[in-house]
Amino acid sequence: MALAQISTRIGDVEGNKEKHLSFIRLARERGARLVVFPELSLTGYLLRDVAYEVPRACSEAADELARECKDIYAVVGLVHEPRPGIISNAAAILGGGEVRCIVPKFYLPTYGLFEEGRYFKPGDPLRDLRIVETDFGPVGVLICEDMWHPEPAEALVRSGAEIIICIASSPLRGLNRPVDNKPWIDYAWSALIASVALMYNVHVVFVNRAGHEDEEFFWGGSRVVAPDGVQICGCGTMEEDFRVCEIDLTETARSRRFSSFRIHSREFHRVLQDL
Amino acid sequence: MERQIPIPELSIDAEAVTAYLTRRLREYVVDYAGRRGGVIGLSGGIDSATTTYLAVRSLGRENVYVYALPTSATPAGDLKDVERIVAELDIPPPNFGVIDIEAAVDGLARMVGSEDRVVRGNIAARTRMIILHAKAAMHNCLVIGTSDKSELTIGYFTKYGDAGVDLMPIADLYKTQVRYLAKHLWVPGDIVRKPPSPGLWPGQTAEEELGIPYELLDSILYLRFDAWLNEEEVASRLGIDLSLVRRVVSMVKATQHKRQLPEIFRLSQRSHGSDWRYPREWR
Repeated sequence: MALAQISTRIGDVEGNKEKHLSFIRLARERGARLVVFPELSLTGYLLRDVAYEVPRACSEAADELARECKDIYAVVGLVHEPRPGIISNAAAILGGGEVRCIVPKFYLPTYGLFEEGRYFKPGDPLRDLRIVETDFGPVGVLICEDMWHPEPAEALVRSGAEIIICIASSPLRGLNRPVDNKPWIDYAWSALIASVALMYNVHVVFVNRAGHEDEEFFWGGSRVVAPDGVQICGCGTMEEDFRVCEIDLTETARSRRFSSFRIHSREFHRVLQDL
Repeated sequence: MERQIPIPELSIDAEAVTAYLTRRLREYVVDYAGRRGGVIGLSGGIDSATTTYLAVRSLGRENVYVYALPTSATPAGDLKDVERIVAELDIPPPNFGVIDIEAAVDGLARMVGSEDRVVRGNIAARTRMIILHAKAAMHNCLVIGTSDKSELTIGYFTKYGDAGVDLMPIADLYKTQVRYLAKHLWVPGDIVRKPPSPGLWPGQTAEEELGIPYELLDSILYLRFDAWLNEEEVASRLGIDLSLVRRVVSMVKATQHKRQLPEIFRLSQRSHGSDWRYPREWR
């Protein structure tokens, strides 16, 4: 598993694609079977009106990157335009020399500095929730804000995903007054990632952006957390970074022997459905 | 109820803030704008002193140009403080200048036919802006602003004067927080403690003019706008008169236009402003 915690340039899909190519090659050289890039890694995050102008370049770049991914899988972030004028913040899963699937983000943050609801169509869980079968196991991909809600990860895991990959462009907040010696946002994400790993007994792979865009600064902190909630690999913060680590998927089964994951009380979801 | 002023929420991790701001300053000036360094108007007050200390750390003293731009309203002590800061930071002589703008301000005030001290003060602030931008062009630099979040939020600045800059590295820190940062950066203690003043007319001090000490102002601003308390809750938490909270909030509202680009009346489908929404780093 390779974590490509890269910085990207806003709107420069061509330049960003070249960077992806070099990291895909590096990941392959280092023996990785999957390389994960951050949210909107081909375009940059704070796109605003640029979002309308990048989908075609994204589609071409994804195709070109897929051709490089014959013997490795890659998850990249891009703007996807399934129908004219309808765009989504999406992840493309590349493997076997092709774009295996494209999954949109379900929860679009539209508060404070975030404006995604203004531009993007949210994913529809009934249609867009996907488990991607790879030669090392079934994988589910979520995008940033999706992890701040319990349902997307739970739906993926109960549908069979054994690895949750979360790609993110999380901007730094709360540097002024750290919590446990880290910026508040790092503290918050650490809690979320460990919670998802513990609640569903899965490995969680979190890959966040580095670099800056306008006032915002992406703090990195990408990591892999095992089903016991313990981090097994971590990138640095505040800088670009690239790490490769090994995941032992037999831990999923072992960890579920001593957890109540097997109990799925559907009635809770019926309550939620009627709220 | 605890009535601590300034409120503890204003405390900062000065070391982390310093590391972050010095880095962002370098990234913005050098990587993004492609300039060599920055030009700062140094008054000898806490904000410009702190900004200069940060800029020297971030860009290197040889890439920071510092200008004192006094008028007859500038206290002699302030110029001494400027010289002390320049010596303390070992800023190379070619990077420092004192440019007396009294004659320019006089001439402009005569031209417009005003003896009003506010009009004259704003002319002085805008004259400084012109000189700093000219110096920035000469040295392949950006103009680094020195505004803090308190002044910016209540509009206590001159539009296109001291706010007419390329970037404002300390503008997300209230004055109280700038004081914490200044101490961390070893800005001389008497400069940190000196009563803040725009220096637009003789004897002017910010706290006297505003009628409120910064620690209280910052506590009100933080609770009302960062913590989203309503006016009554702010007054009760701080144990102060509601009318004082209302006065501060009215300063914020009355100066909203100063924090925005000029109004454009829409005619087309897509006008600059509300629907010209490109990021600054759009390339």
